[in-house]
Amino acid sequence: MTLQHCILLASMLFCIGVYGLLTRRHAIAMLLCIELMLNAANIAFVAFAKFGGGPGQIFVLFALAVTVAEVAVGLALVMALYRRHGDTAIDAAAEAKE
Amino acid sequence: MTNTVLHATIAVIAPAIVALLLVIVPTLRHRGVPAAWACVCGSLVSLGAALRVLFERAPEAGADRWTVSWLEAAGRPLAEVGIHVDGVSATMLVVVTLVATCVQVFSLAYMHDESKRSYGRYFALHALFLFSMNVLVVAPNLLQLFMGWELVGLASYLLIGFYFAKPSAARAAVKAFWMTKLADMGFLFGLIVLVVNTGSFEWTSQPTTAVATLATVLLFVAVMGKSAQFPLHVWLPDAMEGPTPVSALLHAATMVAAGVFLIVRADPLFAQAPATQDLMLWVGSITAVFAAFLALVQTDVKKVLAYSTCSQLGYMVAALGAGSAFAGFFHLGTHAFFKALLFLAAGSVIHAVHSNDMKDMGGLARKMPLTAVCFLVGALSLAGVPGFAGFFSKDLVLTTLEGRAGWVPWAMLMASAFLTAFYMGRVFFRVFLGRASTAAEHAHESGPAMSGTLIVLAVPSLLAGFLGGWLAHTARAEYHAHWGLTPIVASTAAVTGLVAAYLAFGRGRESVRFGVLESLDRASVVDRAWAFAYRGVLLRVGAVLGWIDRYVVDGLMNGVGWVTLETGGAVRRLQTGRVRDYAYVVVVGAILLALYGVWR
Repeated sequence: MTLQHCILLASMLFCIGVYGLLTRRHAIAMLLCIELMLNAANIAFVAFAKFGGGPGQIFVLFALAVTVAEVAVGLALVMALYRRHGDTAIDAAAEAKE
Repeated sequence: MTNTVLHATIAVIAPAIVALLLVIVPTLRHRGVPAAWACVCGSLVSLGAALRVLFERAPEAGADRWTVSWLEAAGRPLAEVGIHVDGVSATMLVVVTLVATCVQVFSLAYMHDESKRSYGRYFALHALFLFSMNVLVVAPNLLQLFMGWELVGLASYLLIGFYFAKPSAARAAVKAFWMTKLADMGFLFGLIVLVVNTGSFEWTSQPTTAVATLATVLLFVAVMGKSAQFPLHVWLPDAMEGPTPVSALLHAATMVAAGVFLIVRADPLFAQAPATQDLMLWVGSITAVFAAFLALVQTDVKKVLAYSTCSQLGYMVAALGAGSAFAGFFHLGTHAFFKALLFLAAGSVIHAVHSNDMKDMGGLARKMPLTAVCFLVGALSLAGVPGFAGFFSKDLVLTTLEGRAGWVPWAMLMASAFLTAFYMGRVFFRVFLGRASTAAEHAHESGPAMSGTLIVLAVPSLLAGFLGGWLAHTARAEYHAHWGLTPIVASTAAVTGLVAAYLAFGRGRESVRFGVLESLDRASVVDRAWAFAYRGVLLRVGAVLGWIDRYVVDGLMNGVGWVTLETGGAVRRLQTGRVRDYAYVVVVGAILLALYGVWR
């Protein structure tokens, strides 16, 4: 397993995340896609730390902590959205326009 | 805090308490008579305290100061406020409180026909004035003097406009305010010049000659406004719209003398600026003659006295310009007494005949003998007849002018001494001698409050001149009455003036007229010049500046606002509110950034 393999994995994971984010209409599915993208970044961090040295692994821990917070906020938003619209389809919430 | 300072503080605070009480307790004010007595009591306390200050301090003692820092900023107070008692302020305190008390007692009877509400308001304003004037008198530096200066200006405005329902009175009040505020800008700028260059508001500071000259010229502009010097004198004759006791107190005895008092205080500063002193010499002399000529043709008895006040203030300013602070101060003191007496006696007459115009008077000597005698004492004192108070101080003023600027100011003031005697003779003969007009037929002597006050003021008008030596001792100046060229010429001028007036008006009729002067008075050149300066220049400049403000400055602002709004309107279409659109923007942006990073 070389650095290239790891980067390839991370890139694929990231692209899957982006694709999912742009195509899914379901709020929870979009949150999951964001998680995929974040984890792609984490893999890249770890890979560079393992093959090139540097403090990348520490940042993964930070990123995980941030991710937990983000998911908590995100799920809370989904709950609020569901209570308001009776639906978790994200397009229902277009009030930000006004 | 020494006893002297404590008593001076009481003299300041007593009327302040009364004024505050009358302002915050409307029921007391609206009752009228109790408010008046509260005011008189406050003034009596103030007078008593002032007399104690004068008599308990040794005449040769130095200044007694008590100050507190004011507006602490950056570790250094901006200025000090407090009490400063020396010979000048102690004497002035007594003069102010004595005249104020007399005028207030006089007003108890004079204003009796007013409604209760305005009676109370009148005395509340009097208390405010006395407090303000005392703040000015005991000021330890120019900043506190300025505060008192503005406060007496406010009191003056309110009291001139006391009959505010009368359009002419309201206009006169606004005019007085406008003219004096215009001049007060000089005070403000003078203070700024002084404090920027010396770092203090003290009048003892030692700036360079250029700074001293600039600062004192600016201060003198304020003095010209307050003390009604030519050409800023135009508000004073109009100020006669106020009640007569107000004219006696504010516009004859004390407030208008504040300008002269300022120069006496700031004498160390003015002494460093010979150019300013020359200016003062000429302005004072011109005012003295100009106002004396105009006093000759007035038919309103109060306006004669108003122009006479202008003229006498011109004497004081000229003496100060000649470098003798003491001569100016001495004349200020005696003038305060005899001019207050003259105004109050005139008030007594006006009260009896219900008119200001001399054609409604005449022959009143038999009907109001006491008023006539008191008025005569004041008139002789003002005319400078030997033995009366005005003679000594006027003589001192003229003596200091001997030989100055080629004797021209001396001659001008001597001429106005003759004119003074002449116009005072005219007023006396027309009001008190001759045949009574229909309005004057039922006149009778005023009550005890009014006539008693006249007697109280007649005493110093007769005798204050003999206090010159003592006053000089207190004010640390040299003074010796002597018999020489100036006193002889001055008393000759006074007596000649009175005799000429008797020959011309002895029958109590306007038998001699001065056509040229009358048309000059009617033309009111100076008034028109100011009106032109206001309407023709100031308002036009204001209109131009207003246009620039409205269309250029505001236009710029409105333009910025318009561009912002339009841009926002155009850009808001990007905001669809749909999360996926935003995600697209983010992703495309990230790709573009990545491409930029690769191809850079």
